Amino acid sequence: MSADTAVPVRTPVRPAGYRVVRVGKRGRLLVHRRAGLVAAALAVLLAAVCVAYLCVGESFVAPAEVVKVVIGQPSPDELVVGTLRLPRMVVGLLVGTAFGIAGALIQTVARNPLASPDIIGISQGASALTVGAMTFGLTSYTVLPYLSVVGGVAAAALVYAFAWRGGLHATRFVLIGIGFAIALRSVTTLFLTKGDYLVAQQAQIWMTGSLNGRGWDEAAPIGWALLVLLPAVLWAAWAQRTVSMDDDTATALGVRLGRVRLGLVALGVVLASVATGTAGPVDFVALLAPQIARRMTRTAQIPLLCSALLGAVIVVFADLLARRLFSPTELPVGVLTAAVGAPYLIWLIIRGHGGRAGGNA
Amino acid sequence: MAAAPPRLSRRALATAAAVVALLLSVLLSLAVGARTIAPSAVLDALLHGGHSDAAEVIRQMRVPRTVIGLMVGAALALAGTVLQGITRNPIADPGILGISQGASVAVVLAIAYAGIHTLTGYVWFAFGGAAVASVAVYAIASRGRGGATPVKLALGGAAINALLVSVTMAVLTTKASALDEFRFWQVGSIAGREAQVAQQIWPFLLIGTVLVVSVARGLDALALGEDVAKGLGQNVGAVRIVGGIGATVLTGAGVAAAGPIAFVGLAVPHIARAIVGSDHRWVLPMAALVGPVMLLVSDVVGRVLFPPGEVPAGVMTALIGVPFLVTLVRRKAVPA
Repeated sequence: MSADTAVPVRTPVRPAGYRVVRVGKRGRLLVHRRAGLVAAALAVLLAAVCVAYLCVGESFVAPAEVVKVVIGQPSPDELVVGTLRLPRMVVGLLVGTAFGIAGALIQTVARNPLASPDIIGISQGASALTVGAMTFGLTSYTVLPYLSVVGGVAAAALVYAFAWRGGLHATRFVLIGIGFAIALRSVTTLFLTKGDYLVAQQAQIWMTGSLNGRGWDEAAPIGWALLVLLPAVLWAAWAQRTVSMDDDTATALGVRLGRVRLGLVALGVVLASVATGTAGPVDFVALLAPQIARRMTRTAQIPLLCSALLGAVIVVFADLLARRLFSPTELPVGVLTAAVGAPYLIWLIIRGHGGRAGGNA
Repeated sequence: MAAAPPRLSRRALATAAAVVALLLSVLLSLAVGARTIAPSAVLDALLHGGHSDAAEVIRQMRVPRTVIGLMVGAALALAGTVLQGITRNPIADPGILGISQGASVAVVLAIAYAGIHTLTGYVWFAFGGAAVASVAVYAIASRGRGGATPVKLALGGAAINALLVSVTMAVLTTKASALDEFRFWQVGSIAGREAQVAQQIWPFLLIGTVLVVSVARGLDALALGEDVAKGLGQNVGAVRIVGGIGATVLTGAGVAAAGPIAFVGLAVPHIARAIVGSDHRWVLPMAALVGPVMLLVSDVVGRVLFPPGEVPAGVMTALIGVPFLVTLVRRKAVPA
């Protein structure tokens, strides 16, 4: 189990199953062996799903041609693959990544897999503001995502504030979140009745989560947002471990638990809202990805990188199915993620995850 | 038992006050709106008829709307009271438990595939959907450790909700014509309902109410705990099943008539218990009085808030209901 470097490592206490990776002269990273393997496997799976996504559609394109287009060589399938399918896939990839990380962070803090953005009102807050704006004639896809971020963050802040009572109790958080989710959903429905039929249809599809018609224009903002938030995500990967310690240990070590938790939740909410702004509230990705990732890696805490990769796999694969299943009608991708996610949620509840306050074992 | 007589008179007094509040809210519902009509003119139109504009507005539009508000308010409040009783759970409500959503989905399917386009036609589908959803949610929540705890019921409701919403979406995306009709019904409102709707749902309200009242004693026993209730000779299973059927019938009728109206079933039972104590033989009638007051007042407020438009009653009750839920959840230091 010794580190494979010649220089002795100064950290004597190393949890079982972890290895130390040295970054530069002083940096050291604890990497879970199995998590590393799973991440590599997921990356390969993601690449395969992506190639399949680009191959399959109205017309089938051979994988060789797909690779040519992606690496920029001239190809007769340039239009279909490069202009139609590739940008939409990239948007799906980014959205899935953001939802995966968001879910992992929020579930870590709540210590409950059920505290996912689509259950505790974040998605509904984003929907309410976005659909409201659409109803009043704002249809620009460059402005709507920002409103959606504002709506999601505002809803989360309200739920957080009302659930806070000398501490953040997971059950209270979930219950109050469900209440806000219901109220915000009814406000959204109110907006739906105000607009004309076409707006309502557009809003309804948006509300389910859809990648229809998304392209480079939508990929750019979320791409930039992820890039800007990258340092914060790296911090989160570090801070996550302190939060999963029990309160007394963490406090004894001088960790300001309240602030770290707030920071993690805030980052998760922003990521979820950004993703929602881009593709609408794609149901259950934020709930599913972290839970599956944790089961695959068998770690005590929710692995961020694996959650991100799995989120991307889920969204890209679900959108592939959504495009083809009832062709020529394209379903919104959220219909498929919900159809898979809801039974999984039910299974989680039956297994007894809802009854307790803490612990995500 | 020495304290019984004064308590009885206090309850009678409270009931009388609730009746007065109900009459006032009925009067408001008849008088207030896009055009406000003086109470004396309202009474005149009701008692003596006449063909003035005001009389026509009241008879053709506001009376049906108010009657349906009365029925739906009472139905949802009774359903909520029984659901809270049989699940022994303070946050049970047809909306939170996904029962209303079940009724909604059935209505969507009816619009899209069965060619049904009248409110009166929705009612059977609403029942079926409500029944299936309520059975599913209870089955999910009662499995596993700890039985049907509040949070498991709420989550089961949320899960069923999400699943049903995705079904709704799949239908609405492939059958776009249904959306235009559905979106107006989905919001929950008692505006624009015809008198015929009231005629159609009253038998169901009657059946539901009889079922619910018949288990009042059983609910009191159940409140003491399952084992105590069994010890007192109550058939706990029968109380739950009869009460559950009653609640489902009431919810189905209410949702068919007015769409999914949120939080009435959650808030009203708590208000009723605060007024008359925990005896279900008093709580149920009190809930049936307070429910319509909440719905009618929400509807009236929605009418005057942003004239000339209206905020549907379903949205108003949801906005009023949230602070209620928050208070309820926060009152316990550590919720179960």
